[in-house]
Amino acid sequence: MQNIYAPISVKIAKIEEHSPSVKLFRLKRTDGKKFSAQKNGLIFTPGQFVLAGVWGYGEAPFGPASDPLNRNHIDIVVRKIGQTTSALHHMKEGSKITLRGPYGNGYPIENFLGKDIIMITGGCGLPPIAALIEYIINNRAKFGIVHLLYGASTPPDLLMKNRMKFWQKNIQIMLTVDKPICNWEGRTGLISECLLELKINPANTMVAMCGPGPMVNALEHLLNPMGISDKRIFISMERKMQCGVGRCQHCVTGNKYVCADGPVFNLDEIDKNWD
Amino acid sequence: MTTAPLQINLNGFLNELKKKFVVIDCRKNILAPKQYLFPAQETAFNFDIKKSRLKTLPPIKPFILFGLPLRDLEAITRLDEIMSRPNKNYYYFRRRSKTTIIGLTDEQFNIPPGGDLILQKLSPKDFAVMPVTAKGTVLIKKMALARPSKNIPASQYAENKTMPKLRLLLQDAEMLKDAVAWSWKNYPQIWDELAKICLGCGICAYVCPLCHCFSTEDSMDIAGKSCKRCQNWAACTLPEFSRVAGGHNFHKTLKERYYNWFYHKFARSYEEFGEPQCVACGRCQAACPARIDIEKILINITQKYKIANRA
Repeated sequence: MQNIYAPISVKIAKIEEHSPSVKLFRLKRTDGKKFSAQKNGLIFTPGQFVLAGVWGYGEAPFGPASDPLNRNHIDIVVRKIGQTTSALHHMKEGSKITLRGPYGNGYPIENFLGKDIIMITGGCGLPPIAALIEYIINNRAKFGIVHLLYGASTPPDLLMKNRMKFWQKNIQIMLTVDKPICNWEGRTGLISECLLELKINPANTMVAMCGPGPMVNALEHLLNPMGISDKRIFISMERKMQCGVGRCQHCVTGNKYVCADGPVFNLDEIDKNWD
Repeated sequence: MTTAPLQINLNGFLNELKKKFVVIDCRKNILAPKQYLFPAQETAFNFDIKKSRLKTLPPIKPFILFGLPLRDLEAITRLDEIMSRPNKNYYYFRRRSKTTIIGLTDEQFNIPPGGDLILQKLSPKDFAVMPVTAKGTVLIKKMALARPSKNIPASQYAENKTMPKLRLLLQDAEMLKDAVAWSWKNYPQIWDELAKICLGCGICAYVCPLCHCFSTEDSMDIAGKSCKRCQNWAACTLPEFSRVAGGHNFHKTLKERYYNWFYHKFARSYEEFGEPQCVACGRCQAACPARIDIEKILINITQKYKIANRA
């Protein structure tokens, strides 16, 4: 009998400091093998999540941020916020941690082919969107106009700045912050203001988001009048995900398990949930 | 069954059984028999930090669960299905595969609801032995039972007096699902009232034969030599249940959490399995420090629902 809770051992090949409280960890298998590809040829679908853990300190869910076609490594971006993430922040390059997954569904990339894509996220919601961007850039000719709208509280909180330089050559990026400290010369203000500036063709546009409920609600109210229905807005939801397979009940919303039925839903699937 | 069932003297049978096997007598337990298949703390992994490797879990030895009433047999049949999705739960089935379950009842039944063997009462001391599974048949052979049973008139069977009205409601799983889902928006008073009474202690989930939520928790021994990753019983009414690191709580109020307990049992469970996760065993009502009675609640909600939806 297979034990789906048994993790594999991975080592931290590289650590990057992305903000005072956020680090990126590049994970490689300790057995020297590559990560295995799923049926769609990807080691994870952008938007799926993995459970990374430290023995003695627990596991936590992360949406990988790396190129899902690259089978050599998986990057996770970790904000120091609880016990597991604090333990991860103490880790050094070469340390071993545990990993299992990927779990959940991911963004419906087949439905995105040929479409203009608007990706909207804030703060620590960037990683799963980053994986989607990597996928899109790898298959750039298969997509139309692609936008990333990304906001953060302050300029140092904007993550993955080094990757951003590469992305900028391939897709349209608008960054915005709430507090323009550190000689910030870019935009200040809400992400919704960025959205209103876009010229879009609603008939050929799909939206991918990752962010908190209030941000999603505010954007829904802007996107619907622009001609983009809830069925074409895909949101990666956050919940307490522990088992990863829809059994432990912590991540439930309405009649959905975020870990197994999601974490990506179109808004129409979830906005009538009682909770 | 084509042949007449075997008949035994209960105490004699149990004594013999105990001589030959490891027997857990469940008759006086407050907790449901799920505790032996899905224990309150399951050590899922035991990691040796010095050697940097997992220790092998101790093997499970065969055991017999004895004396389960019909509703608990039914609960285990349902729990087997729950634990089989999306694939067989490793920890549950490593115990379950070593378990033989013996039911004990003074009630009448047509089809056995579960278990491997059922003992059905004939007189205060005598019971008919009915094998349910091949495991049960093997057990009978090992026990070398002799006497054939007499026929018993139907009038001697007892009636189960625990939550009979809930038992009836459970027959109409779809209506129950609709009524509970309807009540959140259309009859919020009941959830407001219950949230005032409920202590949010979680005992209803612990005693329930079907509640199966759990938390994965790591712990380290004080010397820092080894650590455990355990799957511990949780309860969706507890304040931490939906709280993520950083403090955001997706079910902040007790009203939401208590409703979620009902919603899972009677609505989400229907969507997932086509049946409620309740067998009307009455344990939650008996154990509740606030004396909340789910039978009364569901009668109340379904009545209101039927009146509101009368065409």
